[in-house]
Amino acid sequence: MHSKTSSYVGLLYVAPALAFVLTFTVYPFAQMVWMSLHNWSLIAPKKYIGFGNFVKAWNDPQVWTSLEFTLKYTLFITPILMILGYLIALLTAENRPLRQFTRSVVFAPVVIGLGASSLLWYWLFSYDFGLINRALIDLGLIARPVVWFGADADISMWAVIASIVWKVVGFGTILFVAAIHAIPGEIGEAAMVDGASYWQRVRAITLPLTAKTILLVTLVSVIGSLLAFDQFYIMTAGQPRNLTATSVFLIYLNSFPYLKLGYGAALSLILAGIILVCTFLQMLLSRRSHA
Amino acid sequence: MSLQISTRYRSALAGLLAMVALPAMAEDLQMWERSGGNAGMVDALVAAWNAKNPDRKINLTYIPHTEMVPKIAQAIASGEVPDLMGMDLIYGPQFEAAGQLVDITDKVKDWPELKTAVQGHMTVSTYEGRLYGVPLYADVSALFYNKDLFRKAGLDPEKPPTSLSEIREYADKITALGGDVKGYFLAGSCAGCNIFTVAPLMWASGATVEPEAANGEPLNGEGVKEVLQWARDMIKAGNVHEDARAETGETFHLRFGSGKIGMMGTGNFNITLAKEQNPSMDFGIALLPGVKSGQVSSFAGGDIVTIPNGSKRVDDAIDFMKFLLSDETQVEVYAKMLNMTTRGDMTENKYFQAEPKVQQVAKAIAVAETPYTLKFFELINSPQGPWLQMLQRAYYEDTDLDTIISEAKAQMKAIAAE
Repeated sequence: MHSKTSSYVGLLYVAPALAFVLTFTVYPFAQMVWMSLHNWSLIAPKKYIGFGNFVKAWNDPQVWTSLEFTLKYTLFITPILMILGYLIALLTAENRPLRQFTRSVVFAPVVIGLGASSLLWYWLFSYDFGLINRALIDLGLIARPVVWFGADADISMWAVIASIVWKVVGFGTILFVAAIHAIPGEIGEAAMVDGASYWQRVRAITLPLTAKTILLVTLVSVIGSLLAFDQFYIMTAGQPRNLTATSVFLIYLNSFPYLKLGYGAALSLILAGIILVCTFLQMLLSRRSHA
Repeated sequence: MSLQISTRYRSALAGLLAMVALPAMAEDLQMWERSGGNAGMVDALVAAWNAKNPDRKINLTYIPHTEMVPKIAQAIASGEVPDLMGMDLIYGPQFEAAGQLVDITDKVKDWPELKTAVQGHMTVSTYEGRLYGVPLYADVSALFYNKDLFRKAGLDPEKPPTSLSEIREYADKITALGGDVKGYFLAGSCAGCNIFTVAPLMWASGATVEPEAANGEPLNGEGVKEVLQWARDMIKAGNVHEDARAETGETFHLRFGSGKIGMMGTGNFNITLAKEQNPSMDFGIALLPGVKSGQVSSFAGGDIVTIPNGSKRVDDAIDFMKFLLSDETQVEVYAKMLNMTTRGDMTENKYFQAEPKVQQVAKAIAVAETPYTLKFFELINSPQGPWLQMLQRAYYEDTDLDTIISEAKAQMKAIAAE
């Protein structure tokens, strides 16, 4: 009797959190699954079509193009963000005024909205008025302006990567700095007494003791890159020929401009599944390397 | 304590102000219009209405043009609709077929003004014999050419090209002037710009672009291939600025006024704009030609104004429609701003007579076409749609044109059949 009462009391305690999760996570997810089984337009009555949207996605070449591009973008940008972020963290970890100032400067773009920063870089890369083309010409690196967006998918991707690295590298840096600060100073001092060089200490002490943060930043970076949308929507609009249309871009396109909510929901579920698998694999690999 | 009192006073004052202000705001009609269209014209129309109707003013909100369709659809789904909706005319059939607009047929059937209203706008405002909107403003495409550059290139500025081969010939001569000057302009990443200015070249050459029915044949006729070949050759010959490839439509309206382009397909809106941008530039206007001399066409675009289902001010909205079509508005607002009148019988007016360029571009109305399809955005206007993909491949790749056209056809057919 006593245990039954206490379990009710326990349920009462978790009720607000449970209600929150049910309302804002479980219900929308269930709604999305339900939507994905329908031909569901925003302006016309819905029609049940079973797994028709998933079959359509399998046969839609643009789904594969977008997925391939999204994975390619993720594969290129993640190591850049990780390595650059870690190197900046190593450089600025010490709490000296100039290094603290450098850290703040690197972190500053993180607080700018992604839409605003994408627009800023869109104009920086402008063919006629952009600072990038002007600077590259003045430095003698190129003879004539480059068409950064809309002409070549790879050039467009690298331009976007440059803008995103500027925008988010500070986020990883701050987390890495915090992790480096958490390493007890005596360990490094002992290694120095033993004659370990700086890079030996980084390899043998700093890297292993910040591994959990590295995993966290990698996960956040990979998930963020797989969900990339704003930067491509604003800077490339999927051009040329939809070769830079990311998976989320495709979901947006189908759900809203094309008014195909059901198909968009099916694509969202597929992408969610892919992200789940990537996350699981990453965590598994990390655990194995620890073992 | 004093801070609390002060805060309470402020809250009470704000509440009082809100009570006074809300009834006045509630009487305003809410109207949505897409941005990226002819905002100056719509602003002037609304201002003219507001001046005459101070007790039922229109509160105008612009929605980014790429977001207009989803925004309207979301508003309809949530029941939070405006009283009036200005929309790109080509979306009319989609919303009419979905039963989302108020049928105004019985309320306007006796209006004599409708008999002379722009035909393309009226066609797309009609679904299964019922009327759902009236013209808000009209844009027509034409060939604009820079007379200064014509003179410099040794061309007769009073003899604009009358066929695609002449455009090519003239463009070669203008491009040869060198510097930053090019003979022609083709927007590389803008589906809308191309349906407005390249599709008429195909229509004039006897081809069709959009499928006329769900199972109809799109991109029909030799004219499609001939125009694509011509465009490919123009670009390869260096007659188009390199950055035109990245033109998404954001700066399309500013290109001709730069004075660096010899000829360009654009719209009537460019008359005023080019004059403002480059007052000393001398330019002329001709009809967009086809492959053979004498073939001409144009795209009649613009916006229609409709009433979404759920509007609580249908009668006031209908009055606004009547106001738009009235003689006074046609002359003193549309014509005075050198925009196309939306009634064919109003083109003879003092403002147009004083500006020959407007008279010239108004000739395009007679040969203009407006596509009628329930899936215009997906088929044509989307930057990710088959129309722009086909053009980009034709403009910038060497793939066989028959292959490009047949693949675009297949994509269009699949979309239309869905």
